Amino acid sequence: MAVDNEPRETFEDVDWDDIDETTRAFSRKTIVTIGAYMLFAVGLLYDYVLKPPRADTIEPLGISLQALDWLYILTLLTILVGVVVPLYENGRMTRYYWQQFRKNRAAVASLIYLGVIFLIGSIGPRFLEQPTVDPSNAYQPPVFTSAPNWLPVECAGEVAGGSCHGTWAHPFGTTHEGKDILVSVIYGMEVSMQVGLIAALITITIAAIVGVSAAYFGGWIDAALMRYVDIQITFPTFFLYLMIVYLYGGSLFSMIVIFGLLGWGGIARIVRSEALQRREEEYVLAAKNAGASGYWTMRRHLLPNVSNSVITAVTLLIPSLILFEASLAFLGLGDPTVPSWGEVIASGRSDLPNAWWVSTIPGIFLFFTILAFNFVGDALRDALDPRADGGDK
Amino acid sequence: MTMATNRPDNATHPPHTDQTPSTPTTDGSTATNRSTPASITNANARGNKTIMNSNTSAASPARDSTAAESSSDAKPDEVLLTVENLRTVFDTDDGTVHAVDGVDFTVQRGETVCIVGESGSGKTVTSESITQLFKSPPGSIADGSVVFDGIDLASRTEDELTDIRGARISHIFQNPQGALNPVYTVGWQLVEAIQLHRNVDDDAAREDAINLLNRVGIPEASSRLDDYPHELSGGMKQRVMIAMALACQPDLLIADEPTTALDVTIQAQILKLLRELQADSGMSIVFITHDLGVVAEIADRVVVMYAGKVMERGSVYDVFESPSHPYTKALLECLPGHGSLGGIPGSLPDPTAPPTGCRFADRCPYAVAECTVGEQPVFESVGREVQNEGIEHEVSCIHYRSTDDPSVLDQLGSDRSSTPQERPSGQTGGSRDSDTDRDGDGDGDGDGDRGVTRE
Amino acid sequence: MGMEMEMEMGIGVSPVSDQPAAARTEAPLLSVRNLTKHYPITTGLRSKEVGRVRAVDGIDFDVYPGETVGIVGESGCGKSTAASSLIRLEEPTEGTVRFDGEDITQYDQAELKAFRRRVQMIFQDPESSFDPRMSIGEAIAEPLAVQGLSDASRRREIVADLLERVGLAAGDADRYPHELSGGQKQRVGLARALSMNPDMIIADEPVSALDVSIQSEILALMTDLQETFGLSILLISHNLAVIRQICDRVAVMYLGEIVELGTASEVFTNPQHPYTRALLASIPTADPTDRGMGIELTGDVPSPSNPPTGCRFHTRCPELIQPENYEFEQSTWRRVMDLRQKLDQGTVDVDAIREGVVTERESDETPDDVSATETKARLRDEFAIPQSLDDSRAESVLDAALDELVSGNPAAARERLATEFATPCESQSPTLEDTTAGQTASCLRLENELPPTELEQTVRSD
Repeated sequence: MAVDNEPRETFEDVDWDDIDETTRAFSRKTIVTIGAYMLFAVGLLYDYVLKPPRADTIEPLGISLQALDWLYILTLLTILVGVVVPLYENGRMTRYYWQQFRKNRAAVASLIYLGVIFLIGSIGPRFLEQPTVDPSNAYQPPVFTSAPNWLPVECAGEVAGGSCHGTWAHPFGTTHEGKDILVSVIYGMEVSMQVGLIAALITITIAAIVGVSAAYFGGWIDAALMRYVDIQITFPTFFLYLMIVYLYGGSLFSMIVIFGLLGWGGIARIVRSEALQRREEEYVLAAKNAGASGYWTMRRHLLPNVSNSVITAVTLLIPSLILFEASLAFLGLGDPTVPSWGEVIASGRSDLPNAWWVSTIPGIFLFFTILAFNFVGDALRDALDPRADGGDK
Repeated sequence: MTMATNRPDNATHPPHTDQTPSTPTTDGSTATNRSTPASITNANARGNKTIMNSNTSAASPARDSTAAESSSDAKPDEVLLTVENLRTVFDTDDGTVHAVDGVDFTVQRGETVCIVGESGSGKTVTSESITQLFKSPPGSIADGSVVFDGIDLASRTEDELTDIRGARISHIFQNPQGALNPVYTVGWQLVEAIQLHRNVDDDAAREDAINLLNRVGIPEASSRLDDYPHELSGGMKQRVMIAMALACQPDLLIADEPTTALDVTIQAQILKLLRELQADSGMSIVFITHDLGVVAEIADRVVVMYAGKVMERGSVYDVFESPSHPYTKALLECLPGHGSLGGIPGSLPDPTAPPTGCRFADRCPYAVAECTVGEQPVFESVGREVQNEGIEHEVSCIHYRSTDDPSVLDQLGSDRSSTPQERPSGQTGGSRDSDTDRDGDGDGDGDGDRGVTRE
Repeated sequence: MGMEMEMEMGIGVSPVSDQPAAARTEAPLLSVRNLTKHYPITTGLRSKEVGRVRAVDGIDFDVYPGETVGIVGESGCGKSTAASSLIRLEEPTEGTVRFDGEDITQYDQAELKAFRRRVQMIFQDPESSFDPRMSIGEAIAEPLAVQGLSDASRRREIVADLLERVGLAAGDADRYPHELSGGQKQRVGLARALSMNPDMIIADEPVSALDVSIQSEILALMTDLQETFGLSILLISHNLAVIRQICDRVAVMYLGEIVELGTASEVFTNPQHPYTRALLASIPTADPTDRGMGIELTGDVPSPSNPPTGCRFHTRCPELIQPENYEFEQSTWRRVMDLRQKLDQGTVDVDAIREGVVTERESDETPDDVSATETKARLRDEFAIPQSLDDSRAESVLDAALDELVSGNPAAARERLATEFATPCESQSPTLEDTTAGQTASCLRLENELPPTELEQTVRSD
């Protein structure tokens, strides 16, 4: 802020003719944002066009990025640009949100839990080998617990009183194939985050654009978009996915893309009805009175103000997507190459009487992850409403 | 910023020379005589309209509308509602908000009491405290009593209060749009209001509903019954709200800014309607408003509130004829055509930490050092002689103690515009004059801006 | 009508005497001619137009530099629509709006965007005129950013300066609308409007949502800023008291038309149109001895989709011209007209009247037992018409009409009343004409040089 004794610019000093003549320069933030997306595009271009097929993406490090990974990077980049940066820039509002959010203890705990899941899920798979089949290592019980000695082929820990005790080598035990459950769970974390975040982001992006445009433009654009939504909502997405599974085999990428691209109809309707109300507010008229374009109004006023209902919808959407992925994996319709929680749960279902941990442990993670998303969503919804005055009279 | 440059004569009140009560004044607009002691009975204040009824000392709230006769037979001396030392607090994140902080007033049968003040003065909470309509928690009555027709409402349970609300005490609100349910017809809602408290069958209730709509001046009542709220204009909706409030012939109608959202023409209609209904039924009205113009139209008794405290109370004639508290004076000056533009500099004190002394001292141009210590000053009687209709005219201001000379307010007032006032508390006032800090967050920038001076 | 007005109000011709001479010699900053905004009422898939809401129906006025012009009228009179369509926030249906000599209705998008800098608007509702997700600093800077001032630090400086000019602190820029009171928000609204350094500010009910004491503050601030920056202000309000406080000239609107236009002193001291008189009378006075007096306007503004014929105010006018050959007390005449209008609308329900009589009596009679005399008496009561009119000829007409109505022939009753009790107000449209008092007004009473009625007495007597 300007120091008082310095003469500062006033509104009378602005030379509008001068401003009209200068072509609009991009702000640094815009340049950085565009740069980041350009970098992403270049990387994608290199991976799919320039580099020899079947080679690793980054040869010296042995990193090979798949379509799903690229999509995940794009999602994280967008979350950074669209959520983290604005929160950082509006420090005062962020503090206010945080104050409101903090009131909900369960939500804070959930947020920490989700942060840990996200971090472990992002880092773990980079350093851990995928769990491998090792029949000799099957049915190891988790640490601090024990199983009848006849169950594991070779008890890795100490055997006492006819029971095999778990060891830190396999803290969560192993499956009937001898796969380490901890590693599977960590891989499952990444899968769940990928499913939840990518599909949700695709959904929100399309729903917000469609809903806000329909509300703002109205008329035939509104009619066309909403009739398309009507049709899309009746489309049997699940059967489309089944078909793809039978034709090409299950793949996480196709699952995410199909549910992301075809699941936004309901949210678009919510966004539209919310934006229709916001469009009638006087601040939209004030923006028009300032000479703002339709894009400006939608971007600066309608979108931020429908975010409440979007967040509500998303917090319901993400857990349901994670649960859906788990269910498909449980049914064996998931991606056989990635160890997801649903798959591990399924692998233990016949062993429940003896090796309870195989299904239970990933089940607990699944349960808490979904619960945490719901808690966080609830608290966010309360915190993000700037009209709620915090119990003030 | 400009400050009041000239106060018009009718606000500065040249001392009134004696005038016998039997002389009808010719022009009502100049009959705003300052009641200097002894020489006048207040009758001449309204003399021109009522052709000098000789019973000015009688307690009947004689008014020039037809209400005069019929309300006077509604046992005017009988007190219907007594509010004593009422304190209502709200627990918020920022501390305890003392919304109403020791308020006393009485309402007699057939009488209209106006509670007047700015937003944040606690006038709405006061009215809600009568039947505890506020949300609880965070709100609660911390102290005091609300005695309605012999029943202490402050100590009643929610169930008992529910029986009284609507049946004996009805509320109407500022925004008729929000108070009517958009998915039901007006008739359905009226019938519901009737059947909620009276055991009548549908046909009888519907007939009552038609009568009610007729009473509140809605034309073609029987066909309006099947309209939805959105089909009615704002004024019509307010009439429907009044009809619903009247459904069970309440003894007390609490009207919270019922005309604020309406056009002035419709406001005039609604005020007239309320006067007529009161004349018919003899009910009492507690009327909440921020507009002294409306008060003058409808009140018998006025309670001026500021920051949770009563500043001045008395009969409407006394308060308008000789506004005594500096706050009342300031409010009157804000009325269009009175004084000049500029409002009341400064802002309401922080409701979570009210200042010591007089609540208004911070913004008061007549404040002296004594004003900022101790409690809110005790009530002093203003008129030393006969009060209008037996209603005490009292003011909570140290300048009115028997040892002080209230005329200091007039002298100061005349040169108030030219000299910026010294602030007794020693704080320097900024040039900024923000109004009420309604969020009450009392954050850093809320403290330094209670300046009374304006450059 | 537009051309006529142009002649009357154009440059050089100055029918209005106490307008400052300086304002009259220069060209108007804003000159509105025949501004019309109709909203089509459509039905069906193909959006066939079945009617029009005539929100604004051909209004003409000027605003001179540095002047404050008020537009006053009840809700639904089209005053807000007039404001938003004259700066093309909504496209006007017809008419020209010349701003500083240029017809802005012909502007393309780029020109319109540049024009936005010159006229800014303040909105009614302090709650909804700020985006709850924008800090007030951002809100004030929004017009600057929209118009291309991309340097954020320059914007911040300007915002800090503006906030102090409207009586807030520079540090308030980071606060959010919900943290401010209504009055503070209206100050921010003024700052936002000023940010463009406009020539003119249109204030649409800027104070009607505020406490009286805060209203006074905001109006003082507006006049202050006007003096400092030489702004023209177009103030829109339903409250004549607000208009009186700061306006130089006043236009009174009723149902999409201007019915009276003149300097504030002319309009307030000597109102010429009955509607203006009624509006003035509805302002509550701060005098408890003077309550409930004067003219009361009954009913609401009629729907602009189907405005009354003739003078649009005739359905509510307390000073309706009386029919030839009959003598009425003015208030009685108004009530007889109310009955006529209800008959024309077909909303007089004789059965309901009979039912009402029965309910009141609490006897076992059925509505059919009610005699014609009783029904007629009740009808008169409903419309507050005396049981016998002073003028015996008028009485016989009314009685005959009531007989027809009660005997189930409302058409005949309607016919009889329409021919016998005809008033020029329902057939002839008055035009805005100069009055002897100085201002222009559109009333047939003035055109026919009838004196204003002694209404205060007649209304008071009941």
